[in-house]
Amino acid sequence: MKIGNVLSPPPASLRAAAAAAAHCRYPYGPWPHHPILAVSHNHITAFMQQQQLPARHDKMENRLPLSPHHILHAGCRNAKVSRLKAAFWESIRSGFMKNNTIQVTESPSTIQEEEEMLPDEFVLVEKTLPDGVVEQIVYSSGGDVDVYDLQALCDKVGWPRRPLSKLAAALRNSYTVAALHSIRKSAGEEGSADKKLIGMARATSDHAFNATIWDVLVDPSYQGQGLGKALIEKLIRTLLQRDIGNITLFADSQVVEFYENLGFEADPEGIKGMFWYPRY
Amino acid sequence: MLIFNSISVPLSTPLVLKTTPQRNAVVLAQKQQQTLTALTNLTISDEALASRGFALHRTINKLDLDHLNSVFVAVGFPRRDTDKIRVALENSDALLWIEYEKAERPVAFARATGDGVFNAIIWDVVVDPSFQGIGLGKAVMERLVNVLLEKGITNIALYSEPRVLGFYRPLGFVADPDGIRGMVYSRRTQKKKR
Repeated sequence: MKIGNVLSPPPASLRAAAAAAAHCRYPYGPWPHHPILAVSHNHITAFMQQQQLPARHDKMENRLPLSPHHILHAGCRNAKVSRLKAAFWESIRSGFMKNNTIQVTESPSTIQEEEEMLPDEFVLVEKTLPDGVVEQIVYSSGGDVDVYDLQALCDKVGWPRRPLSKLAAALRNSYTVAALHSIRKSAGEEGSADKKLIGMARATSDHAFNATIWDVLVDPSYQGQGLGKALIEKLIRTLLQRDIGNITLFADSQVVEFYENLGFEADPEGIKGMFWYPRY
Repeated sequence: MLIFNSISVPLSTPLVLKTTPQRNAVVLAQKQQQTLTALTNLTISDEALASRGFALHRTINKLDLDHLNSVFVAVGFPRRDTDKIRVALENSDALLWIEYEKAERPVAFARATGDGVFNAIIWDVVVDPSFQGIGLGKAVMERLVNVLLEKGITNIALYSEPRVLGFYRPLGFVADPDGIRGMVYSRRTQKKKR
């Protein structure tokens, strides 16, 4: 089955459509056929029809193989999905919670192939811990960061304390605040979830040309899993989608390589970052 | 791959992690002194500028964006959409421009974006080529830095082309302090380790 023909080609080009289709292929082999997904498919179709999304989504539903990943992209093509996201993922989650320990991982993305809209909030990783608790790592770019949580996270990574009011103002004045939250639910328990801030990155911008990323942090107990990388990747995509062409940051020497691997270039064309009377 | 548990971008107190409280106090005092000095010393006074026929402006009111755009183009920037420029200026934390009154045109400009409390980045520093070399660039930069300092923002950064590093250094800017590197995202340079 040719996935490439299914997606309505973006206004751009067939090449982009092919690239997007290539991305939609589950990268770890054929998607496992699992009974729960068959149930979700009908669930999703019903959900989408209920939400009255445009007809082309229904057509996609009929042809795409079953995968929350595909559904994510099918939904993404419509800007409305960002408003439907919470209810949508809740209904999917409730299906998953009850029956299985499947791990849903969004496949790594190559940014230049991505044409679909990124929703404001979605699950990056889900896993079941040894004690039966299900933990989801949720990415959000809507700026829903509690300043007390942020203060606590900054303490955890060892940053000097900054006044809470200033932290709050900095978040308010940032163009995009991307956050990672860990949501833990005991198996079978509906409604009681532990939500914890485990990562954040924010970007200031003039809303037209440039954006600068500041304050990138990941909870030490969640480091080493690729979450920081995912956080930045998604933040970049969010910024690119908002048509900000120039994304910059200042990196400590020991993390320059980390950002190089994400597509950043240090001193491009010899352009140097300079600071006013920096404190050593 | 282990992500280092450390700051990847500087904060308002960027590099003091490894210092003692006493040293912190000394450094803080130094910065306060520098701030005070900057706020009080201008290389060219407002009066000097006025007497030479230059008017200082701190808002986009009366700023003709097409004229500004032509100054950008004259110094080598790509020509940008004026509507986008307007959006950028409206969303800047501070801006300053000098008008040559006789021609009623902007001849020098600089602006800064940021979060309004901790960090600011200065962009689009330009002086019309016919008016370069007389101190207008320095005039806008000194005043822009002052505006930011008055707001309490001490982490002021910018990206400098190699040929104008010498312009920013006497203004107090240091390149790659403590090994911090300015980085820019490029869709073409993606070396991903999978």
